[in-house]
Amino acid sequence: MTDRPQTPFDPDPGVERMLTHALATQPMSEESLERLREVVAREWRAATDTIERSIPSWRSRWVALAAAAALAAVSAGLWLTKPSVQAVSIGSMTRLAADGLEVRSGFFQQRRLKSGDSLRVGDRVTTGGPLLVTLARGGTLRIAAGTSLSITGSAELALERGRIYLDIPPESSAVTPLRVATSAGVVEHVGTEFEVMSDDRAVRVRVREGRIRFLGPADTIMADAGTELLATPDKPIARRSIDTYGGDWLWTAALAPDYEIEGRSLIGFLAWVSRELGRPLDFSDARARQIADRTILHGSVHDETPLDAMSNVLAATSLTYEIRGDTIWVSSGP
Amino acid sequence: MPGPAIDLWLEWRLSSQPWLRCEGFSRVYEVDRALVKRMRAGEQRAFDDFFKASAPRLVAFIARRSALDPATLDDIVQCALIKAVRNLASYRGEAALLTWLTEICRHELADAHRKAARRPAHLSLDEPSSVPQEEQLRAPQNQEPISQLYATTQRTEVMKVLESLPAHYALALEAKYGDGMSVEAIARQLGLSATATQSVLARAREAFRRRWLETSADAGYGGSAT
Repeated sequence: MTDRPQTPFDPDPGVERMLTHALATQPMSEESLERLREVVAREWRAATDTIERSIPSWRSRWVALAAAAALAAVSAGLWLTKPSVQAVSIGSMTRLAADGLEVRSGFFQQRRLKSGDSLRVGDRVTTGGPLLVTLARGGTLRIAAGTSLSITGSAELALERGRIYLDIPPESSAVTPLRVATSAGVVEHVGTEFEVMSDDRAVRVRVREGRIRFLGPADTIMADAGTELLATPDKPIARRSIDTYGGDWLWTAALAPDYEIEGRSLIGFLAWVSRELGRPLDFSDARARQIADRTILHGSVHDETPLDAMSNVLAATSLTYEIRGDTIWVSSGP
Repeated sequence: MPGPAIDLWLEWRLSSQPWLRCEGFSRVYEVDRALVKRMRAGEQRAFDDFFKASAPRLVAFIARRSALDPATLDDIVQCALIKAVRNLASYRGEAALLTWLTEICRHELADAHRKAARRPAHLSLDEPSSVPQEEQLRAPQNQEPISQLYATTQRTEVMKVLESLPAHYALALEAKYGDGMSVEAIARQLGLSATATQSVLARAREAFRRRWLETSADAGYGGSAT
């Protein structure tokens, strides 16, 4: 301890002043902190459930064995009477994380799925990582890590827990609206983008675009873009306004399907980015709009998030962008 | 908890013989290990303690190391915490939980900087403002461009010096002067007694002062930390 200062516990006022001044930061607002807490808690609960499922206790193993024995008898009967027709496909796996995916059809049939394989009516899906499904009816289904859901019909899902996001083109709802059943009621889309989250305590629906219909046990509620509905046990459904962009939607942007830019117009690509980010698109000058209309793109932006893809595409043009308020502004020249 | 003499001996071993750090600290992260174990078992209170102790400090940690906009910084902390809770099994208690979290934040920050560098820099001159024009004519003195520039430059230099110090010195100084934690709270985090923690702080301040003076001399401007 040869380098101990003369008076080790007496702070040097100059050093203290400098450190205090330089290390001071603006604390996060209570609201932001609470929002952050909510997001992280949700991921933690999902991760904890995965751990619990992957490391069963001895007791739960015995219970599982007993249940399996009982189910074996039932399934043997079902096997003999199962229909011979192939189950209806609702869409195909487009992007899977390496964190694991469990798909079961019926009682015992566990299926190993890879990119391009079909999800079928009767499948029960449990995700260990995020999953993107391209729907046969058009649009996408994005499933967050730690979600369990069942495909109960060609236009119906049952969300047990976790979070999903549906992006359905309006024309797709004209025939049979897609429905998501939750413990609190059924969400029926009317051509829209919306998120449904369900856990032990609540069911939350967030509408990003278009409109949904929520069929609760007592009444039916319509909710438009920018609305959140929160259903908790023994309480009336709460409604509030929300932003359709920002941190709460980052997980959906990370699961955005690839956009094929080859041979397509820049304006179409920018409209896609705008929709994926939930931010309106606008042009700072007429020339920027003209360039966007006339430019035809070549190449690929596969595996890039919408914002990164836009940065990279615009970097190859004379256009620039900035996000001001809720809007993406595109302008020509610096 | 061992007595102050043992703590001082341990602190001396850590600062003078860094290769002994893992061995020395293997006993002091039991609390963090236990907290993670409870979190993995799904205990809500453990998560609450974890979030309360780490989130505000990670936000400050990132803010001190980057000039990115606040929304991006919030996203970085969010991503880091999500990665952390998804990978709790990989925390083995070989470092303080906060140190482990700050390492995840560093990676996220590096990613964010890489992405930001690829985006075009474009600032608007016609951004609407709700503040009346006449109130914008004179900024408060501490927000005038030259003051802001000085503050930013000094912060950058201070952070460079801090980053060059042993990790537990930098952590202790940030906790004390940035996060405003008491010596007792820092002691709990470091797993030392209050006396040993005061010693760590004194050594850290002295190491900082020396390095600051060296850096100032190298840069050719007459820095002073006294």
